[in-house]
Amino acid sequence: MFIDVDCAQEKKYNQNTYGDYFLSKRYPDSGDLIAVLSDGLGSGIKANILATMTATMLLKFVEAGADIKTACEVIMNSLPVCQVRKISYSTFSVAHCNEDGDVRIVEEGNPNFIYISDGKVQEPEFTVIDSDTFKNRHMRVYKMKLNLGDRLIFCSDGVTQAGLGNPELKLGLRRSGLIKFLLEKIRSNPEISSNELSRFAVRAALNTEPDRKAKDDTSCCVIYYRKPRRALIFTGPPYHQDKDNEYANEFFKSTAKKAICGGTTANLISRELKIPVRCNNVRSVGKLPAVSEMDGIDLVTEGILTLTKTVEYLENGFNDKEKNAAYDLMQFLLSSDCIEFMVGAKLNQAHYDPNLPIEIEIRKNIIKKMAKILENKYIKKVVLRYI
Amino acid sequence: MNKVTLKICMGTTCFVMGASDLQELTDIIPEKYGDKVEVVASTCLDFCSSNTESQAPYVMVDYDVISKATVEKVIDAIDRKLKNGQK
Repeated sequence: MFIDVDCAQEKKYNQNTYGDYFLSKRYPDSGDLIAVLSDGLGSGIKANILATMTATMLLKFVEAGADIKTACEVIMNSLPVCQVRKISYSTFSVAHCNEDGDVRIVEEGNPNFIYISDGKVQEPEFTVIDSDTFKNRHMRVYKMKLNLGDRLIFCSDGVTQAGLGNPELKLGLRRSGLIKFLLEKIRSNPEISSNELSRFAVRAALNTEPDRKAKDDTSCCVIYYRKPRRALIFTGPPYHQDKDNEYANEFFKSTAKKAICGGTTANLISRELKIPVRCNNVRSVGKLPAVSEMDGIDLVTEGILTLTKTVEYLENGFNDKEKNAAYDLMQFLLSSDCIEFMVGAKLNQAHYDPNLPIEIEIRKNIIKKMAKILENKYIKKVVLRYI
Repeated sequence: MNKVTLKICMGTTCFVMGASDLQELTDIIPEKYGDKVEVVASTCLDFCSSNTESQAPYVMVDYDVISKATVEKVIDAIDRKLKNGQK
């Protein structure tokens, strides 16, 4: 199963930064994922620092191999309490999940998370652990087994308390109001992604406010177990030419969405599988060679220049006027969960001719850089295979 | 009468060495030769890797290879081909 995770946030009206902090990290080797949502006391910079500190410490702690319960206990016992309000400086929810559906969750102070399975809300069992140092502080610990299609929704109190005090909703949206919205949305779109559902929840909360302005920092994080959307990218000719046919066949037979990045690579697949490459556009588009077409392949682009540009877009966002091949490749990558690269190790000597007006990067390095960004910034699962 | 086919390599090396400047051929050629000449793009034609010193960009006029291609060189080659009555 693939764990689709995303978080949508809105900062308190008139503040210049978020007082909630969301952090998640995927560990491709073990298939684990850790997600933390922390709500700092107050709003603005102070809250942001408190929430960031709490979330970062928790993630590092669990990442280092500490048991999630122990990690949370240490944090709960060490987080200070506000002298004036006598409440904790920050609250948190942390989830440690693996691909088999084993999930451990600890929450302290945040609204209870919502577990939706088969279109219904389930109320899982939990144990309560009280703080040794602070009387009014306790955490709830859950150990659960999730199945395909299940969702966990975490939110900060900005969501459940949205609309608080207005005549129609004296107690705000509350958890029950949020559940109603979520179930309706899931019913109309059963495969809604975490990205869309989290945005929907935040929007629903804002719409509850009479003036649509967030009265508190508002965050919603969704964890969704679903079948992975796979993508396979073939770039560069294999080092051993006698294996061209084997790799071309393997690539073509894959059930994943397929892209070829490289003219020579496209040619070799075309030669081995007898599928013609159609270059329909002599004109370059957005300073890059235009995309070509091949039956059975979702995207065919030029190699190094397009890959280099795609890395730039993935890092800094797409700011060019014309949607070029690199834009298409970026969309292709971002609409997948598990991305595998078949990287041919053969070098084209002509690329290293000192007379070239620009420096052409080594394919392996660009792909490594791209994989890192996809893993860290976009939380994708990436596999690199050198052939 | 058979058409002359002009193939512009859009491989990485050719593209950075000036194939992108050859795009104006898509405007010039129909104007000058009508439908006698067809312009098509191509993925890497693989001439760059077969030469020790790259002569990119490469263009093919039917089966003739033009190295270090420029708009002028390509037009000359087409003119020669049409004049020789090969087509």
